[in-house]
Amino acid sequence: MLFLVGLGLGDAKDITVKGLEIVKKAKRVYLEAYTSILTVGKDALEEFYGRDVILADRDMVEVDSDSILQDSKTEDIAFLVVGDPFGATTHTDLVLRARKKGIQYRVVHNASILNAVGCCGLQLYNFGETVSIVFWTDTWRPHSFYDKIAANKSRGMHTLCLLDIKVKEQSIENLMRGKKVYEPPRYLTASLAAEQLVEIIKQKREEGEKDIELAEDSLCVGLARVGADTQTLLTCTLEQMTSVDLGPPLHSLVIPGYMHPLEMEMLKQFALNDSVIEMIETLERKSEHS
Amino acid sequence: MVNFTTDQIRTIMDNKLNIRNMSVIAHVDHGKSTLTDSLVGKAGIIAAAKAGETRFTDTRKDEQERCITIKSTAISLYYELSKDDLQYIKQDRDPEGNPHFLINLIDSPGHVDFSSEVTAALRVTDGALVVVDCVSGVCVQTETVLRQAIAERIKPVLFMNKMDLALLTLQIEKEDLYQTFQRIIESINVIIATYSHESNPMGNIDVDPKKGTVGFGSGLHGWAFTLKDFAKMYVKKFGISEEKLTKRLWGDNFYNSKEKKWYKESSLGERGFTQYILSPIYQIFDTCMKATKEDALKFAEKLGVKLTVEEKDLEQKQLLKTMMRKWLPAGDALLQMIVFHLPSPVTAQKYRCEMLYEGPMDDKCALAVKACDPNGELMMYISKMVPTSDKGRFYAFGRVFSGTVKTGQKVRIMGPNYVPGKKEDLYEKSIQRTILMMGRYVEPIEDVPCGNICGLVGVDQYLIKTGTISTFKDAHNMRVMKFSVSPVVRVAVECVNPSDLPKLVEGLKRLAKSDPMVQCTIEESGEHIIAGAGELHLEICLKDLEEDHACIPIKKSDPVVSYRETVSEESNIMCLSKSPNKHNRLYMKARPLPEGCPEAIDNGDVTPRQEMKERAKYLAEKFDMDVGECRKIWCFGPEGMGPNLLMDVTKGVQYLNEIKDSCVAGFQWATKEGVLCEENVRGVRFDLHDVTLHTDAIHRGGGQIIPTARRCLYACMLTAEPRIMEPVYLVEIQCPEVAVGGIFTCLNKRRGVVFENNQIGHTPQFLVKAYLPVNESFGFTGDLRSHTGGQAFPQCVFDHWQILPGNPMEASSKPGEVVTTTRKRKGLKEGIPSLDNYLDKL
Repeated sequence: MLFLVGLGLGDAKDITVKGLEIVKKAKRVYLEAYTSILTVGKDALEEFYGRDVILADRDMVEVDSDSILQDSKTEDIAFLVVGDPFGATTHTDLVLRARKKGIQYRVVHNASILNAVGCCGLQLYNFGETVSIVFWTDTWRPHSFYDKIAANKSRGMHTLCLLDIKVKEQSIENLMRGKKVYEPPRYLTASLAAEQLVEIIKQKREEGEKDIELAEDSLCVGLARVGADTQTLLTCTLEQMTSVDLGPPLHSLVIPGYMHPLEMEMLKQFALNDSVIEMIETLERKSEHS
Repeated sequence: MVNFTTDQIRTIMDNKLNIRNMSVIAHVDHGKSTLTDSLVGKAGIIAAAKAGETRFTDTRKDEQERCITIKSTAISLYYELSKDDLQYIKQDRDPEGNPHFLINLIDSPGHVDFSSEVTAALRVTDGALVVVDCVSGVCVQTETVLRQAIAERIKPVLFMNKMDLALLTLQIEKEDLYQTFQRIIESINVIIATYSHESNPMGNIDVDPKKGTVGFGSGLHGWAFTLKDFAKMYVKKFGISEEKLTKRLWGDNFYNSKEKKWYKESSLGERGFTQYILSPIYQIFDTCMKATKEDALKFAEKLGVKLTVEEKDLEQKQLLKTMMRKWLPAGDALLQMIVFHLPSPVTAQKYRCEMLYEGPMDDKCALAVKACDPNGELMMYISKMVPTSDKGRFYAFGRVFSGTVKTGQKVRIMGPNYVPGKKEDLYEKSIQRTILMMGRYVEPIEDVPCGNICGLVGVDQYLIKTGTISTFKDAHNMRVMKFSVSPVVRVAVECVNPSDLPKLVEGLKRLAKSDPMVQCTIEESGEHIIAGAGELHLEICLKDLEEDHACIPIKKSDPVVSYRETVSEESNIMCLSKSPNKHNRLYMKARPLPEGCPEAIDNGDVTPRQEMKERAKYLAEKFDMDVGECRKIWCFGPEGMGPNLLMDVTKGVQYLNEIKDSCVAGFQWATKEGVLCEENVRGVRFDLHDVTLHTDAIHRGGGQIIPTARRCLYACMLTAEPRIMEPVYLVEIQCPEVAVGGIFTCLNKRRGVVFENNQIGHTPQFLVKAYLPVNESFGFTGDLRSHTGGQAFPQCVFDHWQILPGNPMEASSKPGEVVTTTRKRKGLKEGIPSLDNYLDKL
């Protein structure tokens, strides 16, 4: 049996009791380590679970899934995923492959950034499509995430922006040469993401586009290490966000849509400074009048 | 020879209307170097400081050395025109009538294997003196180089060489000689017409004796003339203007001396050219060689040739030479032809700018180049690297197109891969020293204004072979040179002593710098590969590497040929590949490009930089491709410019442009290393029909799409009847009739195909032209010699790629063997990977 076990967001202890039981008795335990990270490393997990954990990188999961699925018809294999197995990261492909081989599977759920984002006070009911903001390169500068944020906002919905993580990526050059040399891990920060958004906004304005949903002074919420002890939340404008340091990864960014007074009240407690509070209060007054 | 101080030379450099930059081009053995010698003897500039220690003979020794090293060299000439002759200059000329001219002449090798040297020479010059041996006529190298010259917008003038041979050895009749000249001029003009487009901004560049763009003579004997020279002599006799008379001295103009009238029919008189030009020349030859000395000396007096006492003592051939040289000095005739008819930088840069500069035609650089403005932004093109006496260091040799290059000036050094606005292949450094390069002499000079050729010190470590130097921060590159030959033959080298490896690597770096075309690469297997144009080219490169660059003993493998991979049908299924995360799917098909299209891309008729609609229109008209699809060419490949296309034929796919870069990268990869044996791909168009993408950008980044695009392209090729292409030489062999049989035997053994076999004019020589696979050419020269008793010499030049018949998927076929050996050599897995490695099921 293949068990897909969610690990939650914070540290080793966030695993569920059910999940822990599976880990303890499974024949092999894999840790998917390329779509998200915990604040603690593999060693801490091994110590807490009291057993060896095999790191599964992208290559292993995507190309070499057979080695993970080996013997799983008769034995129990645990596949640990940070957050929820079917949350932000989609491991449907692994499940489909297992099904094709006639392997049974079960899922142990846990908290994911998709629900933990509620910590900032914005109601989960009012979130639109989730988007990822990717690292730009010199030649690859996709804009599609902006379009989705704008579409959400125009319908009054909040947008959760997941930020790119590159844990074990090859440079294009090494990829072409087939060299297994990996770049050092990189994590997109809330400030860099805001910077890219601001650049898109500026470009749209230059191109003469009208009715741009976002502006440099739009409010946004930066979230860092949600679920961990050092969790940090911050409300400010996009422009301000570009120069804020939220500390170590992982970061996420939320662009609020139409807000209920209670939601605004919550955001105020994470405000960067008084002027941001003032901004929110102005918004509050406006919504009361309308 | 002329002695000048650097200051004096510098002064002439400022007068850009009086500068001529030219190359001398010819087939090997057509007497180019001998002719150049006579020019250097007449007008070569030597810096005054060196005049004492050098003698004329040194130049000749240098010349001989050059025959071995096979490098082109620049020589500066100085010529003072008489004030009366200034009127012959039809282009813009100095308003003050300054009669001092500076001619920068580049002498380049004649052997086809070194055409790349010629290419580098053409880039920095505006005009070309095409030298043709009037006995053997237009040969393969004449055509190759002339074609390139025209593509670079270089104006040609023609010199008919070796008249002495025609008269003395072959004893050709006057009328026959005229017909021979006429034929050569025609074939030159046919080449010019074939390769110049209708809208050529140079205007009519046909060579025509009547216009003065054809010279005749003998480089060996040091005499030459153009029609104008004779017209001048006869002006009084005929009493018509020089201009009119010149026209009568060529073509079907016959003079009846009784009626004193010109006719168009040969029955009514004597041909002007034979009667008034060839007759006196023939007469001198006859009198000197056959008649008594008195007659000869009398004749000399009649011609107005003054001989010294010693010269009068000379006999026969020596006397003949001296008389001809005094009567029709080669230097004057040639230098006048050059000064009158070849363009000055001012004239040439106006129409060459759009060919040379990649940036917009209205930016600061383009305007300065067009105007040849010494006060504008600096634009200089480095065309080659010249080794210095300091081992491992090079002078960067090139032409200043605008602005003025100065010692100590801070400049932007831009390599061929530089893209404006980016930082790759760009250095901002100071020029250590500006130098004048005259033959093998090097003189420091403070600065050099546009329109001139010079060398730079301290730039070599930032450029591999060529590059652009500018002071303007938004400057684009000057276009890279296109070589007429390709590096199709390669050898692997290794050092005898493993500990010498660092020296070998350093040596290969230097070799790559010193030769414009040679390619030094490292294979996956760790082998060091040198690729060159032919056997001889490689031989010279290896010798240079061993003796000059690495200075270590070297082992080399047998030469091997580069192949190309292509397809012969359209893919028989729609190929689908899924990304590693399975969320993205690409659907593509491959098919061969229309016939002639890959060549059009090679020649630069279809380029990645062309305006998209214009290119689509051209492709549609010429190759009957769909206009709509041609507007959506994503890219060329490999290296962004090769003869394969990636086309977007999808309909209404959202966010497709976000994976475009990744597809392009995969395409470059797949066309550089094809599926069969990782050789370049050629002549294939890949159509992207449809895609399914993950909704979120993070799941369709490069890491997901690039390998998928490559796999899909591989699947496309495997399902489209893949084929192997081999390079084919055009071989030209000159030999006496008896040797022709031996040539045929030799060629038949090596899969050669003869397509032309003609007698050359009235000579007993035959000219055989054939296609010969490069793979079969190793040892061909030696084999040919032994079969023909040493009477036949081949010239091989890369001509085209042809499909090797057979299916490479069958290991027993000829292309199958090629695939097997190539894979083995590259250290790849045995056998072509099967289709299911690349094709995914839905």
